[in-house]
Amino acid sequence: MFYAQLIVNGLVQGLVIGLAALSITLVFGIARFPNAATGDTMTLGAYAALSTHTVTGSIVLGGAGALVAAALVSLLAYFAVFRRLAERPVVALLVASIGVAFVLRAALAVIFGHSQQVFQVPLSRPFVFGSVRVAPLDLQIAAVALASLAVVFALLYLTPIGRQMRAVADNRDLARVSGIRPGRVMVALWLLAGAVAGIAGMMLGIKTIVSPEFGWEMLLPSFTAAILGGIGSPAGAVLAGLVLGVAKEISTPVVGFTYKIALAFIIMLGVLLIRPRGLFGRVEGAR
Amino acid sequence: MEAYLVAIGIIALIYMLLSLGLTLQYGLTGLINFGHVGFYAIGAYTSALLAMKGVPLVFSFAAAAALAALAAWPIGLISLRLRDDYFAIVTLGFSEVVRIVVTSEQWLTSGVQGIPGIPQLYGGIGGFGGQAAVFATLFAVTLIGIWMIRRIARSPFGRIIEAIRDNEEAVQALGKDPARFKIQVLVVGAALAGIAGAFYAHYITYIVPDQFIPLVTFYVWMAIIMGGVGRVSGAVVGTAILMLFLEGSRFLRDVVPGISEVNMASVRIGVVGLLLIGFIMFRPQGLMGDYTKR
Repeated sequence: MFYAQLIVNGLVQGLVIGLAALSITLVFGIARFPNAATGDTMTLGAYAALSTHTVTGSIVLGGAGALVAAALVSLLAYFAVFRRLAERPVVALLVASIGVAFVLRAALAVIFGHSQQVFQVPLSRPFVFGSVRVAPLDLQIAAVALASLAVVFALLYLTPIGRQMRAVADNRDLARVSGIRPGRVMVALWLLAGAVAGIAGMMLGIKTIVSPEFGWEMLLPSFTAAILGGIGSPAGAVLAGLVLGVAKEISTPVVGFTYKIALAFIIMLGVLLIRPRGLFGRVEGAR
Repeated sequence: MEAYLVAIGIIALIYMLLSLGLTLQYGLTGLINFGHVGFYAIGAYTSALLAMKGVPLVFSFAAAAALAALAAWPIGLISLRLRDDYFAIVTLGFSEVVRIVVTSEQWLTSGVQGIPGIPQLYGGIGGFGGQAAVFATLFAVTLIGIWMIRRIARSPFGRIIEAIRDNEEAVQALGKDPARFKIQVLVVGAALAGIAGAFYAHYITYIVPDQFIPLVTFYVWMAIIMGGVGRVSGAVVGTAILMLFLEGSRFLRDVVPGISEVNMASVRIGVVGLLLIGFIMFRPQGLMGDYTKR
């Protein structure tokens, strides 16, 4: 029953990783590079949520703040940097995304300081199911995550712009000759990727302690989930995030607290060795 | 003043060795190694731990290079058959894992407390003479490194790795296995980083995991991108600018009052970010780079 508790904890963690991986896989699938600024966009979301929450006292408005701030900054990064590098080799985009990550982190550290901050959320009695305890806060976080996922998937699979995004992800040139305007798709992509990362950042911030570096540290597990799920597969990214979250929690009693992050790396290597296209990736994938 | 210049010179040459390794890996071969600091850390910890056990420094330096190279081998085997961007992620992850391991394995590395009192390279000489001797040794090693990279670049091996960078399919079509060459390049570059790490550990005499954060990797990337990718002269110029920047930001803090050390560190990260973005966007060939090529 001990493990049931770990699985519940892991699922909440996994939703955070899954959202971050979703942001990575969308950009990787459509803009074709692994965006190393995703982690720091999460940090931005967390700080935006923290500020809004402190001012208004409302977690919902905090979430809205995270969403809007992260989406706008992400779009700004696209217009200022990534759009101009679109025709260049992938290394240019990669290095530039590291640059964006550093600039974001520096700005946040200067504005909000280096002291660790926490969300002031009221303590509450956990729900008890048999021997498994679930904090109401975890349920709220899970609900927010599931709602965000529902919105993202509805956008991707039910709206014209979502269909266009998936078309560009599948075959950019074919999408172009079919009359899809790449500019609009990219704007939608970066808004969506930023918003998703912002929400993930807020959730992580509520679960842990917010500091300027804390988003960057989520980069490795998030990349792992994106690769495990198959690059360009939104459902795969979320599923892999959940798998990874649970695996991290279950392994903690065995490998210890600090090696949870190393576990993500081992899983990444394993996936790349055995099945580089991940669970649901396209065949052309990784090699 | 002389002591200060020698101290700067030693750190500059250590970064120079790191830049040379990355010039070989990325500049000549096109490997996007985002985990350089991992091999640097392995070198530093290997040599420091061995020296603390009384192993002569000649052997501890050799072990630092060997172990860093050995760590690069499996990473290369697993990931070099993959696409470039995947390799970047894997190496970045590798360097983070190295840092987690040295943080966690306290029985070996005393974790976050670090290893104090690492013997100096010429501890017997002491004072300024010892520092000057360290500088001279590093200078000689760097010259050998430069000579080696130039030799490699002009050899048949060098022509193949440059061809891999420019067009991997063409190399494959000629019947060469790019992965094999890439692994060799990765291993040699890692060994250079390992030696740089050993010099660093025995110069600073105190190492903690926080000295081996990914930022160090991107200092080196910044240096070679600013200087000009794929050229030894670029690595030299870039490292010089990097040192000016690192030292200059320290002086700036003394001149401009009211900036705390942590804030300065943030400003430094921000400037590194801006420089990376700026050079990639507006001057991808760097200062010393070839105008005719992209």
